[in-house]
Amino acid sequence: MANLNLKSVEQRTFDAIVIGSGISGGWAAKELTEKGLKTLVLERGRDVKHPVDYPTTNKMPYEFEHRLEVPLAIKENEPIVSRCYAFREDSMHFFVKDSEQPYVQEKPFDWIRGYQVGGKSLLWARQTQRWSDFDFEGPARDGFAVDWPIRYKDIAPWYSYVEKFAGISGNTDGLAELPDGDFLPAYPLNSVEAYFKEQLKTQYGNRHVISARCAHLSKPNPIHLEQGRAQCQNRTLCQRGCPFGGYFSSNSSTLPWAARTGHLTLHPFAVVDSIIYDEKAGKATGVRVIDANTREVTEFYAQIIFVNASAVNTNQILLNSTSDRFPEGLGNDSGLLGKYFAFHNYRARITAEYEGLLEYTTDGRNPAAGGYIPRFRNLHRQETNFLRGYAGALNARRYEVEDRSGFGASLKKQLLNPKWSNWKIGSHMMGETIPKEESQVSLSKSRTDKWGVPLVNIALDYDENDRNMMADYHEQFTEMFTKVGFSNIKTIDTGQAPGLDIHEMGGVRMGHDPKTSLLNKYNQLHACKNVFVTDGACMTSTSTQNPSLTYMALTARAADFAVSELKKRNL
Amino acid sequence: MDRRSVIKNLVLFSGAVVLLPSCITEEKKASIRLENLAVSEGQERVLAEVAETILPATDTAGAKELGLHLFVLKMLDDCHNKQDQKAFMTGLAQFEEMVKKQYGSAFPDCSLEQRQEAIAALNNKKAPQDVLTFYSIMKNETIKGYLNSELVMTKLRVYELIPGRYDGYYPVSKTLVS
Repeated sequence: MANLNLKSVEQRTFDAIVIGSGISGGWAAKELTEKGLKTLVLERGRDVKHPVDYPTTNKMPYEFEHRLEVPLAIKENEPIVSRCYAFREDSMHFFVKDSEQPYVQEKPFDWIRGYQVGGKSLLWARQTQRWSDFDFEGPARDGFAVDWPIRYKDIAPWYSYVEKFAGISGNTDGLAELPDGDFLPAYPLNSVEAYFKEQLKTQYGNRHVISARCAHLSKPNPIHLEQGRAQCQNRTLCQRGCPFGGYFSSNSSTLPWAARTGHLTLHPFAVVDSIIYDEKAGKATGVRVIDANTREVTEFYAQIIFVNASAVNTNQILLNSTSDRFPEGLGNDSGLLGKYFAFHNYRARITAEYEGLLEYTTDGRNPAAGGYIPRFRNLHRQETNFLRGYAGALNARRYEVEDRSGFGASLKKQLLNPKWSNWKIGSHMMGETIPKEESQVSLSKSRTDKWGVPLVNIALDYDENDRNMMADYHEQFTEMFTKVGFSNIKTIDTGQAPGLDIHEMGGVRMGHDPKTSLLNKYNQLHACKNVFVTDGACMTSTSTQNPSLTYMALTARAADFAVSELKKRNL
Repeated sequence: MDRRSVIKNLVLFSGAVVLLPSCITEEKKASIRLENLAVSEGQERVLAEVAETILPATDTAGAKELGLHLFVLKMLDDCHNKQDQKAFMTGLAQFEEMVKKQYGSAFPDCSLEQRQEAIAALNNKKAPQDVLTFYSIMKNETIKGYLNSELVMTKLRVYELIPGRYDGYYPVSKTLVS
C-alpha cells in the first residue's frame, strides 16, 4: 500500500475509486488498474493478506480449544452471526459480530457480513453458475419487477472472461437453463449422486443433476499459477482462507493482481460515509471517508466511482449521499432506491438414506460439495401456483459411525473401529424470491452507528409465493427420492429468516427506464453517470443461481464500459 | 517433593496467610482456569478417574493420559448452558456421595472393580437424574475429546488435513472401515 499523504488534495485524487474489496470490488480493482487507472480501493475493515493473515488455516482440529465449536457466550452475545453455517471456531475472526455493527430489523433479517479486505469472498460457498435467458426474461414474462436491460448474449463473453481468470470447475452439460462456460475439469459426482442423475433422466427427462460448478482450481492453468495460486488440495477448510489459493477470493486473486500493476492503492479501515456530488459538474467528484479507528473524515476524489460495498451497504451509502440535487439519495430520482430488495429462499431442506451401492464410499473430499439440480419448474411456461422456480443442491455421503454404547476397553475399541453408515442424502432449495416495493433497505431516522452513519433498516419477509414454492420443493423432492428408492425421507423447514442465505440483492436495480430503475444496462446510475454499482445491489431479479459469478461478470463489463467512456470524455 | 517446589509452596503458603487467611483451610482449585464452574482439586481427581474408566489405557493411551477430563471441564465451562453446568456439579456431588456410601472410600481410592461397577450402574441408567446428566455430559465430551485428540487424529483414525484428492467411487473393500 502506498503511503497516503492525506493533506494534499493531489495525493487524495485518483482516476477511480472502488468502494469495497469483496468479490465484485476486487474485480473492479483488477479491471480498472489493468487498464491503467490509478485506483483507490476503500475497505471499511482491516487488511487480510494472502496467505499470511489466515491464522487458523493449517491447524488440526485438536489445536482448537473447543474442537471447532463456538463457545456459548459468543453464541448468546452474537446470535445472528452464530446462525451462519460457516461461523465456527476456525473462522470467527472473518465475520462481523452482531455487537460490532448493529442494524434495525424491521422484520427479522440475519445479516451476515465480512468486514475486511476480501470481504465475504474469503467465506463464500464458491458455487458459480451462469444465468440464462430463462432467468433474465423472468420479470418481462410475468410482470413482477422490471425487465432486465440485458440478456444472456450481453453478458456471456464476460462470464467467459471472469471464469478463465477465477478458475471455475464444471462439466459441459449442454443445458439451456444453465449455460456452459469456460471450465476447468469438474469434480465428479459420487456413485449415489450419479445414480440419482441417471434415474432422473430416465424417469423425468427434463430434470438434471450436474456436478456443482465451483470456483476451485481442479487443474490450474498458467493464468492461475501466474496469480500465485495452486491446485485445490480438497481440504474443504475454505472458510479459514486457503494457503494454496485453491479457491477464488479477492485476497488470493484479483487484489494481488491489481497491486502488481502499480496502480492500486488499498486503504483499509476506511468507512465510507457518502459519495460527494458536484451540482455544477453534474457528477460525483469523490467519496467522504471516516477513518474506522480515528474517526477522522477525509475526502478522496476520482473521475469514476465503483460502489461494491455489498448489497445492503451499497444501498446505505447511496441513501446517505444526499445533496440539493438528490435529497433522497444519490441517483434517486425515481424514489425507488432501497426498494425491490430480495433474497434467496433457502428454508426448505430434505434428507433421506439409500441402502444401495454399499460397495462404494468416497475417498478424499469434494470441494464442489456434490451435485446441483438446475431449475426445472416454470422454465418454458408458467405451470405452478407460484412464480419462477428453484434450484436444488444434492449431496450423498457415508459417514464413519462408532458404536458409543458401554464403557471401558470395549468402548475404546468400538470408537477406533467405526462402521460405514448407509448413504445419507441431503438437498436444500435455492428459491427465487420476487422483489417487491415494500421489501426495502432504508436509513434509520433516529439511530446512527459509532461513526455517525445512520443505521440500516431492513424490511424483508417471505410471502405466499415463497411458501407455495417451498411446498412444491418438498413435494417434488419427496416424489423424486421415493421414485429412486431412497428411504427415511424427511422434509425440513428450517424457519430461518431472510439473510441467512447470504444472497441479499437489489435496491439499486438495473432497468431501461430511469423512472422505474436506478442503473442502466452498464450498471451506471441513470442520473449520475460516473457512478457504477456492480455488486448485489444492482440485481433486478434474483433467479436461483448463486449470484457471485454474475457480479464478477457485470463488474468486468461495467469497468470496460466505464474506461471506454472515460477515454471518450463522456464521464 | 524437591527443594525447589518446597520453597515455592512455602512462598505461596506465607503469601496466602498474609493475604487470604481463610484460604488455607479450603481445598485447592482445579488445575485449569474456569470461568463458570467451581471445581476442586479433589473433584478434578474424581473426573480424571471417571474419564479413565470410560476410556482406559490399553495398548494405547487412555483418558487420563490424554487429559480428557480437563477437556470435559473446558467444554462444560465454555460451551454448555447454566442448566447443564448445575446438573453436572449436582450430579457429580451426588455421585461422590453414592460411591462413598457404597464403597466406603472416594472414587479415586476405590478398586478398579469398584470403579467399573459404579460406572456400569450409571451406564445402565441406575442413578438419580442429575447423576445421569453428569455422566452423559462426561461420557459424550470424553468421547469427543478422544476422537479429536492428537493421538487418534494422527495415529489411530487419521484425519487428513490435506487430502489432495476426491474419488466418488471408492470401494469400501479398500478402506479400513467395514
